[in-house]
Amino acid sequence: MDELSLKHIENEKKQIFFIFVLVTATIFLSIIALSLGPTIDIVTTAKIVLGLQESTDTQSSIIWKVRFPPILMAIIGGAALATAGALMQGCLGNPLVSPLTLGVASGAALGAALAIVLGFTIVNIPELGIVANAFLFSLIVVYIIIQLGNFRSISAESYILVGIAITFIAGAIVSTMSYFATDAQLSELTHWSFGSLSRPEMVNVLWIGVVVVCLLPTALKWSWDLNALTLGGDDFAISTGVNPAVIRRNILVLSALMTSVVIAFTGLIGFVGLAAPHMARQLVGNDFRKLIPGSAVFGAFLMLFADTLGRTLFAPIVIPVGIMLSVIGGPFFMYLLLKGRGVNS
Amino acid sequence: MSAILEATGISFSWGKNHVLKDLDLKVEGNELVAILGVNGAGKSTLLKCLNRILTPQSGQIRVSSADVSQASLLDLSKLMSYVPQSVRSSFSMDVYDVVLLGRRPHINWSIGVDDRDKVSETLRFLKLEEFAFRRFDQLSGGERQRVIIAKAVAQDPILFLFDEPTSDLDLKSQIEIMKTLRELVSDKESPKSALVAIHDINIAARFADRILLLHEGRIIADGTPFEVLTSSNIAEVFGVTSEIQEKTDYSPMRIIVKDEIRNDEEE
Repeated sequence: MDELSLKHIENEKKQIFFIFVLVTATIFLSIIALSLGPTIDIVTTAKIVLGLQESTDTQSSIIWKVRFPPILMAIIGGAALATAGALMQGCLGNPLVSPLTLGVASGAALGAALAIVLGFTIVNIPELGIVANAFLFSLIVVYIIIQLGNFRSISAESYILVGIAITFIAGAIVSTMSYFATDAQLSELTHWSFGSLSRPEMVNVLWIGVVVVCLLPTALKWSWDLNALTLGGDDFAISTGVNPAVIRRNILVLSALMTSVVIAFTGLIGFVGLAAPHMARQLVGNDFRKLIPGSAVFGAFLMLFADTLGRTLFAPIVIPVGIMLSVIGGPFFMYLLLKGRGVNS
Repeated sequence: MSAILEATGISFSWGKNHVLKDLDLKVEGNELVAILGVNGAGKSTLLKCLNRILTPQSGQIRVSSADVSQASLLDLSKLMSYVPQSVRSSFSMDVYDVVLLGRRPHINWSIGVDDRDKVSETLRFLKLEEFAFRRFDQLSGGERQRVIIAKAVAQDPILFLFDEPTSDLDLKSQIEIMKTLRELVSDKESPKSALVAIHDINIAARFADRILLLHEGRIIADGTPFEVLTSSNIAEVFGVTSEIQEKTDYSPMRIIVKDEIRNDEEE
């Protein structure tokens, strides 16, 4: 192999190394997050988690039933939303797009509002009513996306504009319901819209995990197609053997599904899907073969970090992860984007 | 020898605007064919129809005996490669990665040694080694054009479709690019051809084996530069008077454009 190819391989290895560093950092952060709180100290937690010490029933229950589900949810949710963001930015050729752009979140919010304010739920299980509604209504948006994909001349801009229209329509209905809601209903709706990881059921976390783990390899399979689409647009992609309309529709549906399944449980968490892919780009570049895993790991780390900070900063008060993400992620995101661009003197 | 490209009865319209009207076209191996015509004559549309970026309303197109309307886009991309006039990137990549995209039709997911060798060979062929690890969006227009041509070459097709490859380039770069295209179609053992939509009639006269003169959606002349670029054809298509200087041992064929033909002169 010649010098150019060897250098390319070396660059790729460096980028993969960055991903592994982030994976390791996320694992360490998880152990720290598991240790935080009264009753069990960090050393004991680390020993129990690593299997170096037997745990009592209470310790085991605190670590695995109370502390672990939100941590796993943060990792899975962050990875899913960041991956969805990277995929959508790529296939729509727009760096401002996030998983919420297509109106999936607005659909979910509408479903949640119907459950909270009007008491209309599609399942009769009290603790799952809001979640099921949010998921169903976000799926309706996914269905609209699939139908849009059947129009032959649908462009990336059209998808974004339809998403904005859905957001406005759903937003107007939610606002109307909020206007007539009682204080208690309004409080619950507001809390849902903050985005939170408080006390998810382990079984639900596992279900979300299974869906995300199944969808991620499919996204990776389309890496080359996304590379062609983002580098040169539709004509360039066709010349490279990619059908832009089909790949765009498939990727949008996959991203919307990943987003739906997460935000139905967590509420509106948008920032990680916008920022994490851009942060990952700084480390691994724009090649989707590395950007997809890079975004997933960055998203997982960012969400876990924000959630951990939100739980500990003003303990016992928990700041919702959606708020923490914007507070700590926003300035960091701006720093990364402006770094190295110079300042006009 | 069978034709590399054979198109018959190609018609394409945007609504009521008939851009291509019943075109027939044939390109043999080792041919560099230039398409000349005014803005809106249908040059780019023709290239896009050949590559199935646009679907013609009627007609049949065969590349190396494969029916373009029936073949998968992946199979087509192994047969022909289209180089657009310009490329608008949403997210940029290193030049090496852009050229590597040319191997996408040949690989499943992971990159083989052969693919890397082809990329390196192509980068050297287009004198792009020093740019290999620079970002595509930080290059000049001419350098970017060469990178996109390199991607097309790495794709290893038998037919290249170039849409005004010299439009944004300085004089030296125009000559360099056209010499590269000539070299691409010169291999007798593995014949490849190129169809080039171009504005500059002197560049076309110098480098093309054949010229197609496209006017109002039809090919009104098809032949060698000397046969096609006559003063009367140029007057009809471009609306200008010209003087033709024949090719000599020391200089290529030259067309000196003199003046526009005013409507009262035409009458």
